[in-house]
Amino acid sequence: MTVLVVENLEVRYGAVRAVRGLSLTVEPGEIVGLIGPNGAGKSSTLHAIMGAAPVAAGDVRLAGASLVGRKPEDVARSGIALVPEGRRIFGELSVEENLRLGLAGRRSQAGADDAVERAYELFPIVRDFRRRTAGALSGGQQQQLAIARALVAEPDVLLLDEPSLGLAPRIVDVVFDALAAIRESGLAVLLVEQRAQRTVALADRCHVLSNGELRLTLDRDDAADTEKLVAAYFS
Amino acid sequence: MRRPALLAQLAAPCALVVAVALLGTLVSRSSEGYFVDSLVKVAIVVALYVFIGNSGVLSFGHVSFVALGAWTAGVLSVPTAEKPAIMPNLAHFLRGTTVGNVPSLLLAALAGGVFALVVGLALMRLSGLAAGIATFGVLEITHNVLRYYEKIGPGLNTFSSVPETTGLWQASIGALIAIGVAFAYQRSRFGRMLRATREDAPAASAVGISVYRQRLGAFVLSGVLAGLAGGLYVHLLPMNTESLYLDLTFVTLAMLVVGGATSLWGAVVGALAVSALDSFLAQAENGVKVFGGTLDLPAGTRLVVVGVLMALVLILRPAGLTGGREFSLPRWRRP
Repeated sequence: MTVLVVENLEVRYGAVRAVRGLSLTVEPGEIVGLIGPNGAGKSSTLHAIMGAAPVAAGDVRLAGASLVGRKPEDVARSGIALVPEGRRIFGELSVEENLRLGLAGRRSQAGADDAVERAYELFPIVRDFRRRTAGALSGGQQQQLAIARALVAEPDVLLLDEPSLGLAPRIVDVVFDALAAIRESGLAVLLVEQRAQRTVALADRCHVLSNGELRLTLDRDDAADTEKLVAAYFS
Repeated sequence: MRRPALLAQLAAPCALVVAVALLGTLVSRSSEGYFVDSLVKVAIVVALYVFIGNSGVLSFGHVSFVALGAWTAGVLSVPTAEKPAIMPNLAHFLRGTTVGNVPSLLLAALAGGVFALVVGLALMRLSGLAAGIATFGVLEITHNVLRYYEKIGPGLNTFSSVPETTGLWQASIGALIAIGVAFAYQRSRFGRMLRATREDAPAASAVGISVYRQRLGAFVLSGVLAGLAGGLYVHLLPMNTESLYLDLTFVTLAMLVVGGATSLWGAVVGALAVSALDSFLAQAENGVKVFGGTLDLPAGTRLVVVGVLMALVLILRPAGLTGGREFSLPRWRRP
């Protein structure tokens, strides 16, 4: 069953139409990529899903229920977790405190400790540094913490906004491997990225956005087709 | 965090309060009042800290809750026979009601909390400058209502005849309660969520935290503590609405800023450090003997010096004397 549906979404900031008539769906156990140049409307789409950007038209539905007009904290508690661009971890709190804050998004507190344990298993480095101040972690470690923080809420849908931004190639591998494992666990993942080739190779489907509009959809086999990727970006 | 480190975070401010109380027993009767006053200030500043320190939202209105607490405890503890003399226009049900010391303090705390809830429901959607100005408005409203509405208190008169039960004992217990509550709150899930909103409100709401609700909870809790502190205050010395207005707002905020607004340790250190300076200057304004000579400062020096001190701390050490950190034991290095 389709868990996340975005239908004819339109996001407007004043006179600027950041997203124009975007439709997409994400199923459980599936990664859908959203790629495109800067200003294409990728982050705006995620913010609109979270209720943090104004939806001028269209609909966003989670398991059939519309999310439009709801506050970000309500959206988070209804089963969508966002890993924001730039990590946005709480630098002055400890790593463990950061992780436990993710529990605020749970629908029930039962099983919270198991969820924390699973997040630690997925990202052992987060467990190792759990007593440290989160601001003292490296960028890659903070990114793993940010994903772990989203996962402890046990959402149905995971949204990620450029998780590989500014990371060393080796750490990008860690993050992408973790995303593949998260998909295996049955989550629906919507991944916004700039690393087009890697995203196309990982995702089940990849939508190319430009100027707020969906230009084309690529599948995994297109990852090797550099010409097609370049054309998609610069058409 | 390890248990001994956590224990030290609570024990250090408590020990400081106890030390000040013990020191207060050694000095003359006339100087003792300054020690008691400083302990009541600790309670007020800790109340401020619970909201401002954890939320990062400024409030100029907390002295309203202190004032309402003082009014509640004061009106309810003036002996019935003396009420008509100082409060001739008091409402009928208040005229006949007198309660003991402890109940008056509990009711003061309740009044502070209820008032904070009413104010907070409306104002906790604001942050930054807007919150500061709006809470300032609350202070003005409260001040004028207490000043001119004689059905609930002495109005322009001084609140005399309130039993002076706040000595070193009562003040230090009050301060310790405030510290204990503030510590328990900041260690709780709710304290953690509020501090997350202080660091990054949009990120906090993205993980499912309601910024409004967390702020409101802390505002009410700090209103309860401020009300309690107001009760302690009115039982300490005869006061009027002017004692619970701009000067007190300024001095207590300065204490919080000087100590370090983001930690409980900072709130307590700041309250005591500025109190010590403030008391000394207050005495010096009336002439005080120092090192054989007489120091006689012009009236008004007190707040000028406190103002300059606050500015200096903000410039030289913006996070306050404690750096806005909790107390931590020095680490032993192995050779």
